Amino acid sequence: MKKISLALSLVVALVVLSGCGDKPKSDIMKYKYTPAQVYAETCLHCHGPKGEGVAEKKAPALTKQSVQELEMSLFDIKNGGLGQSTATEHDVMEHNMKKLAEKGYDYDIKMMANYLHNTFYVK
Amino acid sequence: MKSDKIIEDILFEIEKHEGGMSRRNAMKLLAASPIAASVLASAATATEAHASSSNATGKIVIVGGGLAGVATAAKLTQRLANPDITLIEPNPKSVSYQPGQTLIAAGVWQKSDIEYETANFIPKGVKWIKDSVVSFDPTNNKVKTADGTEISYDYLVVAMGLILNFGAIKGLEGEITSSGANDVVRKKVGKDGVYSVYFADGAVDTKKGIEELIAKAKAHKGSEKLQAIFTDPDTAIKCGGAPKKIMYITHDLLTKAGVRDKVELTFCPSGDKMFGVPEYNTAIFEQFKVRDFKWEFKTNLVAIDTEKKVATFEKKWLEKGEYDEDLKEYTMISMSKNVEKKYDFIHITPPQKAPDFVGKSPIGSSKGWVPVVKETLQHVTYKNVFALGDVAAVPMGKTGGSARKQYNVVAENLIAVMEKQEKLPAAYDGYTVCPLITSIGTVALLEFNWTAKPAPSFPLDPTQERWIWWLLKVYALKPMTIYGMLSGRA
Repeated sequence: MKKISLALSLVVALVVLSGCGDKPKSDIMKYKYTPAQVYAETCLHCHGPKGEGVAEKKAPALTKQSVQELEMSLFDIKNGGLGQSTATEHDVMEHNMKKLAEKGYDYDIKMMANYLHNTFYVK
Repeated sequence: MKSDKIIEDILFEIEKHEGGMSRRNAMKLLAASPIAASVLASAATATEAHASSSNATGKIVIVGGGLAGVATAAKLTQRLANPDITLIEPNPKSVSYQPGQTLIAAGVWQKSDIEYETANFIPKGVKWIKDSVVSFDPTNNKVKTADGTEISYDYLVVAMGLILNFGAIKGLEGEITSSGANDVVRKKVGKDGVYSVYFADGAVDTKKGIEELIAKAKAHKGSEKLQAIFTDPDTAIKCGGAPKKIMYITHDLLTKAGVRDKVELTFCPSGDKMFGVPEYNTAIFEQFKVRDFKWEFKTNLVAIDTEKKVATFEKKWLEKGEYDEDLKEYTMISMSKNVEKKYDFIHITPPQKAPDFVGKSPIGSSKGWVPVVKETLQHVTYKNVFALGDVAAVPMGKTGGSARKQYNVVAENLIAVMEKQEKLPAAYDGYTVCPLITSIGTVALLEFNWTAKPAPSFPLDPTQERWIWWLLKVYALKPMTIYGMLSGRA
């Protein structure tokens, strides 16, 4: 019966949707600088040599956050929000980050979060 | 066999709703499209690898019995030789199908089409406690329920969902869930031009609201258009597409009623884009222009006067400051002001948060959402705790489609922890799917992940609106979720 074939096709479509169809892994982005270089040459000006933050630049300390919190914040900054049309919580930094990326100071979110946490975290 | 049940359900639904003509068209479309071929090819390789069962033991407590919690319980029941699982969930209809709420507003479904009894989906052998958890003590591996019972665990899965925080908007009251009690919210929402599809009863009201708007438009004289506003808050939300879907549906119903030219439709989100994936962002802008939709970015609803029908939005923008020598750029200053808008119809997407019981507990975070390593879904501090679904702090993914990927990851990784393995084997990649309803009869199937690139399951341009995806949304995704996902099979 034809309608069974329609239903079957939809069911099979769902099998694919549900993830049995393996998709190729996304390309690994290459970055010009390491997270340490990006930090030393750009972030440091506002977040300080020890990630302590600089009040007059309105840049918060990066010493208190877990890797996961840093990752969420960096995702928010680079993606301009965590949803489809949800506002970023870092509107000034989102703007700054765009400018930095234009100059080649881009980075992998996870690597940068790990770098910041391993280098600056204060218990 | 569960798949029989799925097919049966799809057939029943098609029989009930679609005319013979539509079926023939569907068949033609399927036959002509490359989907059929590709789908069959994938199916050949998609024979599910039967994971052998694990002999690991330990008491697992799952807090929350929505789609994520019940699917996790089902998967663990299958995978463990001797499962010891307790599920804590107070709502007898917690597994109701929330993605159908937009279809209720569209008049395609009834509320009864999305209501499901939790009791029918609790896996055999799982102990169900019909109460809610009010405190977490992860240091001593205990939770406490509202009636004061302490429940200890070896392993904890948090799947408590989220709270629709209407009360965060000045002029409204109440914090609710999509299928629980909602009297307080409905004092102001669901009448007099103020609507929200974010809860099931609200979706029923929204359908009436659109009908009222049509009637008002038909009687409307004068050159000034009626104003319909669609909001999108500055918190993470479930189903990021719904604020737009309801706008497309309203547009479609107004058009069919012949009164679209009497009403201006404006999207007012807190953010400044349509979608985080550039390709989808561009596609949605095009869809908006074709439909003559207006939009105002960085315009976040903060207050509403339901008597005067005036909504207040906080509008934000950046202003150029001084030149910064260190940055070698002009500094930017964040500015904001409140603006008032009159409305005839407003669809509110409420601000959303983790339930305070978990958000403010030791396993919560400053923002409430339960912090997990976003790939493994393991809690950042407590290694015997996992979280998934709406309550978990992961970027983007508060959808049923995400939960459908996450529950397998949680089950596999939790078993690895129980087996004292060093590495967690499964990783979530941020997959989310947004079947964006663009009219009653078309859907754009927007699939993506954390790479912010399209991740289509099919070799078809995902930015196109298609009837086949409408069929998928209306006829296939629900049986798939209810009979596939809730039994831990798909």
